[in-house]
Amino acid sequence: MFFRKTIIALTGLFLCIFLIVHLSANCILMLPEETARSLYNSYSTALRESPLIKVIAYVLYLSIVLHIIYALIVTIKNKKAKPQRYLMNHTKENSSWTSQNMGLIGILVLLFLVVHLANFWARIKLGMGDVVALDTNGHVDVYEVTYSLFQNIYFVLFYTLLMIPLGLHLNHGLKSAFKTLGFYHKKGLRVLAKVSLFYAGIMAIGFGIIPFIVFFK
Amino acid sequence: MKITFKIWRQENSNTSGDFKSYDVDGLTEDMSFLEALDHLNELLVQRDEKVIAYEYDCREGICGQCGVFINGRAHGPHANMTTCQLHMRSFKDGGTIVVEPWRAKSFPIIKDLVVDRSAFDRIIEHGGYISAKTGTAAEANAILVGKEIADKAMDAAACIGCGACVATCKNASAALFTAAKINHLNNLPQGHQEADKRVMEMTWQMEQEGFGSCTFTGACEVECPESISITNIAEMNARLVKAKWLR
Repeated sequence: MFFRKTIIALTGLFLCIFLIVHLSANCILMLPEETARSLYNSYSTALRESPLIKVIAYVLYLSIVLHIIYALIVTIKNKKAKPQRYLMNHTKENSSWTSQNMGLIGILVLLFLVVHLANFWARIKLGMGDVVALDTNGHVDVYEVTYSLFQNIYFVLFYTLLMIPLGLHLNHGLKSAFKTLGFYHKKGLRVLAKVSLFYAGIMAIGFGIIPFIVFFK
Repeated sequence: MKITFKIWRQENSNTSGDFKSYDVDGLTEDMSFLEALDHLNELLVQRDEKVIAYEYDCREGICGQCGVFINGRAHGPHANMTTCQLHMRSFKDGGTIVVEPWRAKSFPIIKDLVVDRSAFDRIIEHGGYISAKTGTAAEANAILVGKEIADKAMDAAACIGCGACVATCKNASAALFTAAKINHLNNLPQGHQEADKRVMEMTWQMEQEGFGSCTFTGACEVECPESISITNIAEMNARLVKAKWLR
């Protein structure tokens, strides 16, 4: 029980760190057209060519898979521990909606992830779909893939709206991960709750606003 | 006061149960909730019907026997309170009160609103005690315990084992109960000797009993009549990490 939750917490925290790096890089997309294109493409080329990033990429895939598998196992076990529901249950009076529905929220985040990976990872890394052209510097034009995707308002809305479940998931997940790993300092936990909210807000707003900025470029 | 009680009736653990409605008149606002149930049971006796089985003992909020789920909350609509401390003034005249037993796989229903909480006893049997001899009161007092530590241990020791934490948890997790029992003893000098063994064995037994895992919804600390903080669970996790991997 504890081991499984520890895995979820550790992989979750790794994913939280990954998101910071991811969002920082995505901020390049907010720059003016030409600067953004050359910077973003040379950054992504540098990432793909770095052996360190290759290792981290595998850790990332493994983290996502383990996070999902163990969350699934824990959820199934938890449902089994409570086979019969209450006729009347006012959970809102003693806990947050997010904390009661992390599984559902997680599924929405997974739905986003599948679409997101199909849009970018499958095209650029796996070479599926149309061939991605090179830019004037000879780098793979990842910026163009992003730019053309976010000319479609439906994708913009999808990418933005699904940052709401991501934000909720991160807010509960970050502070819970620390508690699962045994952080129990009372004042620290109060600060941690605020940090989690701040972190989740920055991530949701940051990732959510970039598609719009690209759309209106 | 006139109240419609909608109460879970179940003959024993082998049969399936169902809700049954009872219109009860002649209740007063100053009656405790358990007195209202007593009143209903008297009516049932007069009508030659089977009385509703429910547990109670001290009726002063310190024994932990009287746990039932009332109108969607463990121990009724107020936070940090036992069922026996709940009064009818908390409900609307003419309203309906839904009364259900604690629901968890590890708390099988014995009859009506009575559940078997012996899973808690078995967790206690796996280290929820000290085997160190502390001698007489005078000798025990010779072991100095700082005020902060004593308070911390006492806050955890306040757990009365009512089971509200399990009942309200969506995962039926017994983490708050187990954490309270572990932290109570592990914080005190008499508990240090067996600290690692205690946390390993009690959490192991907790899992064997089929309780779910803690996902920190925080519902338990709101419903706990003794206001035991959820940070106890994080502390138990820290002790478990130490006992398992950092020895």
